[in-house]
Amino acid sequence: MSAHEPLSDHDVFALFPNVMIDRDNIAHYRALAAGHLAINRCGDCGYWVYPHRPMCPECLSWNVTPTEVSGQGRVFMFTLIHQLRDPHSNIMEPVVVAAIELVEQAGLRYLSRIVNCPLEEITLDMPVSLTWIPEGAPRSPAFEPASAQGLEARG
Amino acid sequence: MARNPLKDRLAVIGVGSTPYGRDLRRSELSLGLEAAVHAIEDAGIDRQEIDGICGSGMTPLAMGGAGFLSLQGALGIERTTWVKNGWLGSAFVYAAEAVFSGLCDTVLVVQTYLRDINMSRSAASDPFRLRAAQFSDVGGDVGMGDFARRWLHSGEPYAGWIRRYMKDYATDKKAFALMAVNNRSHGARNPDAVMKTPITLDDYDNSRMIWDPMQMLDMDVPVDCGEAVIITTAERARDLDVKPVYIHAMSLGGSRVGEFYENTLGWTENAFWIALGGLWDRSDLKIGDLDIFFPYDGYSVDAVAVTEAAGFCKPGEAGDCFTDSWDRKNQILRLNGRTLVTTHGGGLAMGRAGGANFYAEAVRQLRGNEGHRQVPGAKTALIGIGSFFHDPAAVMLRVD
Ligand SMILES: [Zn+2]
Repeated sequence: MSAHEPLSDHDVFALFPNVMIDRDNIAHYRALAAGHLAINRCGDCGYWVYPHRPMCPECLSWNVTPTEVSGQGRVFMFTLIHQLRDPHSNIMEPVVVAAIELVEQAGLRYLSRIVNCPLEEITLDMPVSLTWIPEGAPRSPAFEPASAQGLEARG
Repeated sequence: MARNPLKDRLAVIGVGSTPYGRDLRRSELSLGLEAAVHAIEDAGIDRQEIDGICGSGMTPLAMGGAGFLSLQGALGIERTTWVKNGWLGSAFVYAAEAVFSGLCDTVLVVQTYLRDINMSRSAASDPFRLRAAQFSDVGGDVGMGDFARRWLHSGEPYAGWIRRYMKDYATDKKAFALMAVNNRSHGARNPDAVMKTPITLDDYDNSRMIWDPMQMLDMDVPVDCGEAVIITTAERARDLDVKPVYIHAMSLGGSRVGEFYENTLGWTENAFWIALGGLWDRSDLKIGDLDIFFPYDGYSVDAVAVTEAAGFCKPGEAGDCFTDSWDRKNQILRLNGRTLVTTHGGGLAMGRAGGANFYAEAVRQLRGNEGHRQVPGAKTALIGIGSFFHDPAAVMLRVD
């Protein structure tokens, strides 16, 4: 499989065995597998369409295509999961689950993890940037404090 | 005002409940049948008069459980002209609509809950409950096993909303805490409640952190239980020996954010505001007329949202409102100085029934035979049940 050749549907299903993949969201997961965070965007009015839907709810256009986002955003809300319901879970607790409001559009929020930040320093509206963590297929998107990325870039 | 042609033209004539327990060792169908039989006896009707059934569940053709397909045969009801399955507060509304439309005359609503594996760690260690869950049609999970990208459970965004609420309105957890204490104080007086001990604010503060900042005492108590109600026309109700409890107004509520819970634009844009707005647009009774108020408490944050959406205070001001409304002696709320809240203890104390026990309690209080728990002279009750995101229901009940 060449780097330029998109994954087949079969490969995407195999990489995400526990995700409810359908015709409308498979492009998002295909992009994730290739290391891109892509959200559907209306080609006519520019509205970002999320959850993944084939038609724009603002202008009813079907000209909607997965488009890579900047990866910049703010923490809109989060919870620290101290107790999972699966008594056999081996996930280390607490797990941070956060809704990141992407800069592209008010209310456009992507559910993700927050990394490279002590739990007690996570705050609402904190600026964050996209990063990738070695987990899942083959890496998963996560967000880290925007300042952390700045330091890394300088270093 | 919106149209409200059904005003006072439908009535609840029967209610039936099972015992509530952490482990009753019974099937959902068994619980549903017991509740249904109690409701039919309570109404004093022949069960063949029932020609509509709203069973328990989220899928129309669910087999097993307490769906209509199983209930009708198991209850020996010969003929129905309307059937559906439903859950949360909306099941009641669907059933009432069916009577009003003429698709049936007398409808039985049955709602059952098991302490399922998604609600409890101990339940997830029970092989019977695990196996039942493999074939269950009733879920609530939206995580789809993908914890990096989706919530693990539909409840976590509510936890996220608690923190967002406190920041946006520069407030603390007082509103959630007082709601929890209120419900447990009422639960302590309800012999059918699973949690019969009252709690203090300190107990609330010290309760285990589950989904930070949501704590254990913010969450309803998973139980095994069944509830049933019977609704018919006001004309038919007046022929029976029971005191009719009239449906004065109802509303459901839908918003653009029905699926991905994190995308709700703001606190006041969740679906409760739409449902309660729809209710007030249709009701002749106003907020000051309310004797009892039933805000659903799957999580305490639901109950706070329903209270604000109903208009007892402005958005973000429930903490102050509850402090001002606090009856210290009884450790309960009296909104506007008079309206009692969740007099049976709700899900936080009586047990998780998806709000079905709110309808049952409202009907029993309005009939006026709740004994030592009776709210004197109660004539009106407002019920608000559902999710921030899907099928919230607002229902105003009244008696003459
Ligand atoms: Zn558009």
